[in-house]
Amino acid sequence: MTHRPSTDDLIRTLAASPPPPQLGAWGLVLPMLASVGIALGLFMLLFGPRADLVHALARPTVAAKTLLPLALALVALTLAVRSTRPARSLRRSLLALPVAAALALFVARLIQLPSGPVVPELIGSSAAACLLSITALSLPATVVGLVLFRSGASPHPAFTGAMIGVSSAAGAAAGYALHCTEDSPLFFTTWYGAAILAAAVGGGAAGRHFLRW
Amino acid sequence: MTLAADPAVGRHCPDPGREARLAPHRKEATLDQDPIWDELMRRANQGDGAAFRQFLTEVTPPLRRMIRARGRNLPPDQHEDVLQEVLLAIHLKRGTWDGDAPVRPWLYAVARYKIVDAFRKRGRRLHLPLEDVAEILAADPGPAPLAARDAERMLGMIDARSAALVRAVRLEGQSTEDAAAGLGVSPGTARVALHRAMKRLADLARRMT
Repeated sequence: MTHRPSTDDLIRTLAASPPPPQLGAWGLVLPMLASVGIALGLFMLLFGPRADLVHALARPTVAAKTLLPLALALVALTLAVRSTRPARSLRRSLLALPVAAALALFVARLIQLPSGPVVPELIGSSAAACLLSITALSLPATVVGLVLFRSGASPHPAFTGAMIGVSSAAGAAAGYALHCTEDSPLFFTTWYGAAILAAAVGGGAAGRHFLRW
Repeated sequence: MTLAADPAVGRHCPDPGREARLAPHRKEATLDQDPIWDELMRRANQGDGAAFRQFLTEVTPPLRRMIRARGRNLPPDQHEDVLQEVLLAIHLKRGTWDGDAPVRPWLYAVARYKIVDAFRKRGRRLHLPLEDVAEILAADPGPAPLAARDAERMLGMIDARSAALVRAVRLEGQSTEDAAAGLGVSPGTARVALHRAMKRLADLARRMT
């Protein structure tokens, strides 16, 4: 009682169908970049960059506050795009580089500081605003990414989703850093890191669901 | 003039004359020859349906072996369903192969993903018939079991568009092209949708017996 069309029939049908469009990397990347860019642009219009931005950026820790998330965003975006093509090798270890650099800054500051002010400096005065801003600024790009990457064929949907989340949140953090005046590595590695980690977990869960094919 | 008979053509020995000698309908002795698969898929992605048909035909035996090796605890009559899901995925996702890398690792990565996925889905679903049977045994002899297999009731259990397609083509005897036009989709889309719907109905029927 099989109603199953034969495999030969299916092959004939598929061969007669037009080929689907080629998956282009820029078609995935540009809309995500635009989403982060627009969100950050609106944020800067509303709240503006920090007043002493040009002077502050000359200090290495302040520059690192933008450059490390930026590096992480680029690595994660590259991994996300590569992961949409089956059988491409993925150098996940590259993710460790910016993370290790941030941890090194954190530890260096910890050693430098007497134990008293560590906790106040770590908690700072804008942790909630920081978490909220980075998450909000990254959401549009994460959603756009999750929708666009459905045209890919990632054999690891959760990983691809996590990388979409990380690249969006790290990109948002790199921009938000130009507004945020808390320059201690204790503060920014903790809270930027927490926001990016949350985006990784959320993106991974969403990817497991939406990026299956 | 088969390639297998030509000792100069080894797997790692590129031969510019080979493509010219590649007859589109030749099937033998090519299963492990990546460059030929690469070339077929490249032409397929440029819209050459005959090349895609030859590609799918040639990869079917190794895929079938892969599925058989993995699916020992699945009824063999479902192996062909899994194979068809893999072939469909190869078509739907062939835009993710960019032609720079060999096609074989791509093909096997797609197949592995779809096979694992198909078996996971079926692993979940395989429990359902047992529960259904237990329920039927426990229940009073209510409505005749044949009523449950009534075609219209089964059509009610799949989505409306697919049901309309099945009704038009399989019950009313329209051509797929006419039914596609009626639903406002391309004939190719309708054929694939019909194929999927028939498979789902076959699954439902199997579950209801």
